[in-house]
Amino acid sequence: MPDILLQYQAEILSSIEETFIMVGVSIAAAVIIGLPVGTWLFLCRKGQIYENRIVFSVLNLFVNIIRSFPFLLLVVFLIPFTRMLIGTAIGTTAATVPLSIIAIAHYSRLVEQSLLDVPKGVIEAAIAMGASVRQVIFKFLYVEARSGLVLGLTTSIISFISYSTIMGVVGGGGIGDFAIRYGYQQFKTDLMMYMIIIMVILVQFIQFTGTTVSRMIDKR
Amino acid sequence: MITLHNVSKSFLRFQAIQSVSLSIKKGEIHGIIGASGAGKSTLLRLMNLLEVPDEGEVEVNGQTLTNLNGKQLRQARKSIGMIFQHFNLVANKTVFENVAVSLKLAKFPRKGRSERVKECLQFVGLSSFMDKYPAQLSGGQKQRVAIARALANNPQVLLCDEPTSSLDPNTSAELLTVLQDINRTFGVTIVIVSHEMDVIKSICSRVTVMNEGQVFETVSIEPKGIGIIENSPSFFVEQLTKDGEMGHA
Repeated sequence: MPDILLQYQAEILSSIEETFIMVGVSIAAAVIIGLPVGTWLFLCRKGQIYENRIVFSVLNLFVNIIRSFPFLLLVVFLIPFTRMLIGTAIGTTAATVPLSIIAIAHYSRLVEQSLLDVPKGVIEAAIAMGASVRQVIFKFLYVEARSGLVLGLTTSIISFISYSTIMGVVGGGGIGDFAIRYGYQQFKTDLMMYMIIIMVILVQFIQFTGTTVSRMIDKR
Repeated sequence: MITLHNVSKSFLRFQAIQSVSLSIKKGEIHGIIGASGAGKSTLLRLMNLLEVPDEGEVEVNGQTLTNLNGKQLRQARKSIGMIFQHFNLVANKTVFENVAVSLKLAKFPRKGRSERVKECLQFVGLSSFMDKYPAQLSGGQKQRVAIARALANNPQVLLCDEPTSSLDPNTSAELLTVLQDINRTFGVTIVIVSHEMDVIKSICSRVTVMNEGQVFETVSIEPKGIGIIENSPSFFVEQLTKDGEMGHA
């Protein structure tokens, strides 16, 4: 192993850990909140089973506004909110707040798109069989859209990794921050290259896993 | 069995159904025919409230569906089977799971579920296809899975929306035989919407003709029987040339 990696081993490992925390929390937010938000977006659309213009417009506006911020500005803009929520706006934990918010907006849009691919007839058949809205969602919509939901999450996770690299501005740390502080600002270009290689491997691995899983569960 | 009282339905400004009254008797196979846009599919979809009427009452199996709340309506729908032109199976579920889901929705006891699914698949002749996915089946097989799914909960009524319109003539005939068997074996009241005269004539005993959202007339007919399935190449040649307008090249 190159000497420079051994020399900074501890810092590198802790920055990897910080990235994993930030991305992990974002994934959790995407699945726990983004998935329901995306489902609501879909159900409240015109012509869908919970058609509701007000709810749809509010959710749609929220998602669009969050996604139109340059991410760096969103992080700064959310500092008061973050401080209110967890008491501080600095550090890895604080960094998970803006990341989670963008994660929810990002994934919910992809969920909505995946659900739009479910043939309308399938939903109709479910209703004709006497399914409740809950049953339509869990026994029909998610089953039929599952490979799209997985691919969407894969795309989202890769974006979250990219977003997490700039969390150094609020002391969030992570691989990206390490690469900038040591590799760029201290002119250790080789160290920066190694960090980039780690990121590339990580992204390749996630994309490969996502694609494989989505192909395996797609029987259409 | 099914009674519509002065039912009307419009979409935006288009009046799809105008004050239609119709009664369908228990145990009959009732056809609905008409030109495109005559409102036949809408009329059928009113019978399980997939389309909610703007006015009028829909009564099925002694229950006035238009007076029920959400939960009661879902319950009532479990004894109204429905099949569609495009089958509408869940592509990510196996044949077995597609049938089982309708039992799950109806809270059919877990213990007898698998037995019941197999029974229904056997009835439509697909026992050996249980673990296949819809994408691996032909159109006729998909429609038979849809029939098995609709039959699983022992419905009183089976609504068929253009059930044979995306199938070739031979497969259509097979499917109509299945529908006729269901009617004879279980006494299920069947309503068939179709634009194909042959389909309607072959198995229906009463037929409603629709025109511009209204019932033009309801007539009783003697079902003509399902045409013999013939798919030998010489039959096709004979059909093509029998009027003598074409000679052999």
